[in-house]
Amino acid sequence: MSSQNIVLETRKVTKRFGGLTAVSGVNLVIPEKGIISVIGPNGAGKTTFFNCVSGFYQPDEGEIIFSDRNNKHVDLVGFAPDNIVALGISRTYQNIRLFANMTAVENIMVGMHPHLKTTWFEAILRTPRLVKEEKDSITEATRLLQFVGLAGAGDELARNLPYGAQRRLEIARALANKPRLLLLDEPTAGMNNKETAEMTEFIRRLRSELGISIFLIEHDMHVVMGISDYITVLDYGEKIAEGTPEQIQKNPRVIEAYLGRGAAAGLHKKSAAADVVAQ
Amino acid sequence: MPNYIRNGLRSGFVFGIVIIFLILIGFTRVANELLAPLVKGTSQLPMGFILFMALLGLWAGASAAKRSPVLMGMPDTYQKWNAIISGLIAGIIGGAFVGLFIFVLGSIQTKGMDMRVYLAQLSPDAIKMLTLGRVAWAGAFSIWLIFVITGIAGGLLALFSDSFKLGERMSSSWKNMSAGIGDSAIAKTVNQNAVVRYILYGIFIIILLILPSFLGKYWNYTLGTIGIYIIMGLGINIIIGMAGLLNLGYVAFFAVGAYTVGLLTAPAPQGLHWNFWIGLLVAMVMAAFVGWLLGIPVLRLRGDYLAIVTLGFGEMIRVLVRSKALSSIFGGPQGVRDIAGPMIFGQRFTEREYLYLIVAVIIFTIFITIRLQNSHLGRAWGAMREDQTVAQAMGINIFRYKLLAFALGAAIGGLAGVMFASRNQYTGPEDHTLMVSVNVLALVIVGGMGSIPGIILGSFVLKGLPELLRQIEDYRLLVFGGLLVVMMIVKPEGLWPSKRRQLEMSDVDLPPETDALQVLEEQSSDQKLRGES
Repeated sequence: MSSQNIVLETRKVTKRFGGLTAVSGVNLVIPEKGIISVIGPNGAGKTTFFNCVSGFYQPDEGEIIFSDRNNKHVDLVGFAPDNIVALGISRTYQNIRLFANMTAVENIMVGMHPHLKTTWFEAILRTPRLVKEEKDSITEATRLLQFVGLAGAGDELARNLPYGAQRRLEIARALANKPRLLLLDEPTAGMNNKETAEMTEFIRRLRSELGISIFLIEHDMHVVMGISDYITVLDYGEKIAEGTPEQIQKNPRVIEAYLGRGAAAGLHKKSAAADVVAQ
Repeated sequence: MPNYIRNGLRSGFVFGIVIIFLILIGFTRVANELLAPLVKGTSQLPMGFILFMALLGLWAGASAAKRSPVLMGMPDTYQKWNAIISGLIAGIIGGAFVGLFIFVLGSIQTKGMDMRVYLAQLSPDAIKMLTLGRVAWAGAFSIWLIFVITGIAGGLLALFSDSFKLGERMSSSWKNMSAGIGDSAIAKTVNQNAVVRYILYGIFIIILLILPSFLGKYWNYTLGTIGIYIIMGLGINIIIGMAGLLNLGYVAFFAVGAYTVGLLTAPAPQGLHWNFWIGLLVAMVMAAFVGWLLGIPVLRLRGDYLAIVTLGFGEMIRVLVRSKALSSIFGGPQGVRDIAGPMIFGQRFTEREYLYLIVAVIIFTIFITIRLQNSHLGRAWGAMREDQTVAQAMGINIFRYKLLAFALGAAIGGLAGVMFASRNQYTGPEDHTLMVSVNVLALVIVGGMGSIPGIILGSFVLKGLPELLRQIEDYRLLVFGGLLVVMMIVKPEGLWPSKRRQLEMSDVDLPPETDALQVLEEQSSDQKLRGES
C-alpha cells in the first residue's frame, strides 16, 4: 500500500451533529487506482463520511488530504463542494439524483462544467471558442454515453430512462468531470442479481480503463467482497476494522457490529461467521 | 345522491356565484354593450344582457351534463335523460342564485336606496338592466326562467354533441392537424433549416415594422407599454424562469434604469444633459451593478425568504427616491422631468418611433435570452433550478451563477426602465410601485415561465386586455387575482409554456419518444456492459 501513490488520505475526521458524533476520528487511505469500500450497519456514519469528503459537510476535526490532478496535496476541509469537484472528486448518490427534466446528454454536459472555460459574455456573442467548446462537449458526452452503455439514449429525458440506465447515466455524469477519485454511494441499490453483476464489472472497468480510484459505500456483501482492495468498517461513527476482504470476513468485531454481541459469541467457527457476513 | 344530480347542483352553484361576481364588478354591463349589436331588437329589453345570461346558462347546463355518467362512458347504469336533468338542475340552481340576487337588488332599488354608495357598479341604470326594466320579482323570475330553459338546452347540447362524438372528433382532428403540422415537410424545414427560420422571422419583423405606421398615437403608445412589459418579462424570466430565483422586487431594477437615464440626461435636478444613448448604456450597467450588489447579501437565502427580501428592496428604492431628504439628488416626489430621448433628424422620437425602438429592444433581449438559454449557462441554471445541491456537486458555483442571473436580469429591467422614462420624458416615484413587480410576475406566470412566446402572450393579455376593456379598469386587480387563480388550477404551466417547464410541472411520466429505450432495456438485460463498448 505504501508503495503506491495515495489519492486521498483522511486523518481523524470527526463530524458531530449536536450531541451526536456521526463520524469519529476516521483515518482512511485511498491508493491510486484502488477500490476502497466502506461498510457498516445502518446509521454507522458512512454517508456522513462521504459528505465530509465531497464537501457537503464540514468536518469538525481532522484533515482530508487529496492529491489533485497535478499531484499537489490539498486539504479539502473548508472547501465548498464545487471547488472539490473541480479538483477531481466526483460522486453519485444513494437515491439517484439526476436532473430529471434534462436529457441524458445535457446531464452529462452539466457534469463537464468544471472544464468549461467560456464566460457569459462569450455565450451571448457565440464566439468560435464557445462553439468549439460546445461541440467538443457534445462529442465527449456521446462518447461517455457509449462508455456506460447508453449509446443512442442521448436525447431521452433522464426521468424516462429505466432504473439501471439512470444509475449508469449518473456515473457518466460523474465521469464527465474527469475525476481522479469517484465516490459511489450504493451503486447497486435496488438492482437484481444480474444488474448487480453488471455494475460490479463496470466499476472494475472504470479502474482498469480510466485509471480512476474508487471509494464505495455498499450494502451488498457479494459486491463488496468481490470488488474491494481494502474495506473499512464503520460502526457508530468509529472505524472498527480495516483490511482486505478476507481479513474483514474473519474479524470478530465486524461480525459483532452486524449481528450483535450474543450472536457473535455464539458463532465459534470463523468460516460460518464469514458466511453470515457474506450474506 | 346520484352523480348527475350532484353535478347539476355543483355547476349551478359555481355559475351562480360567478355570475353574481360578474354583476358586482359591472361586467354584465360591458357584456351587454358588447353583445347588443349581435341581437338587434326593437324591444326595450337589454338584449345583450339577456343573450349573455342565456349563453352562461347554456354553458352551465352543458358543463353539468358533460360530467354525467352517461357521457363518461357508463351508459348501462344511467339513462340519457340524466344529462338533461343535470342541465336542468344547473339551470334551476344557477338561476335561483342570480334571480334571488337581482330580486334583492331590485327591491332595494324600489325602496329608493342608492346602492352606489356601497358598490360603484350598481347604478340605478344597471339595476334596471338586471331586472329587464320590470318590477323586481318579475325581472328576477324572467332571469331564472332563462336559466332553466338554457340549462336544459345546455344538457341537450352536451348530449347531442356527444352522440355525434363532436368533442372527440374535434379533439382528434385537432390532434391530427397539429401532428400533421408538426410532421409536415414545411414544419420540419422550418424547424431544422435555420435559413428558412430566419426568413420567417424576417417576414414577422417586416410586419412589425409596417404595422405602427397604420396605428394611431394611442395604439402606438399602448403597444409600446405592452412592449416595455415584454422586455421586463424577458428580464425577470432570466431570474425566475431560468435560474429559479423568486424575485418580487423587480421594479427596483426598472427604477434604477429609469432614474439613471433621467438624472443623467435631464436638466434638473442634476443638470448633466448627457446624450441619451450614453445614458442608456450607463443605466444598464448601473442596474446590473445594483442587481449584483443586492444579490450578494440576498442570494444566500432560499425560496420564500429571498422573495420577501427582494420585495422589501423594491419598496426601498421607491421610498428612497421619494424622500424629501434626498430630493436634491433624486428630485423627490415630483420626480425627474424633461428626460432626453433618442433624436431623429433633430426631432425627438414620436410614439411610433419609440414603438420601433422598443420592438428592436425586445428582439435584442430575445436574442440574448436565447443565446444564454442554449449555452452552458442555461444548462447550469436549469440544473440549479432542479436540484441546487447536486448542481453544486457538478462544480457549479451556485452563488456566482445566481449573481450572474440577477445582474443580467437587472440590466434588462434597467433597459425597460430607460425606455419607459425616456418615452414619457418623466419618471417619478409613483411609476415604480409594487404593482409593477406584481404585473411583471403575473404576466410571466400567466404566459408560461421560461417561455418567450408565453411572456409576449402574457404581456398582451395582462397589459393589453385592460386597455380593451377600459370599463373594468377599476377591477383590474380583481381580474388579475381571478385570472391567476384560474390559471393555477387550469393551466399551472402557463398559456404558452416552454416544453421543459411543462415537464417540470407534470408528475406524469411521459412515454419515451423513441425506440432507443426498448433497445436499451434489451441491451441491459441481454448484454454485459463490457460487450457494448
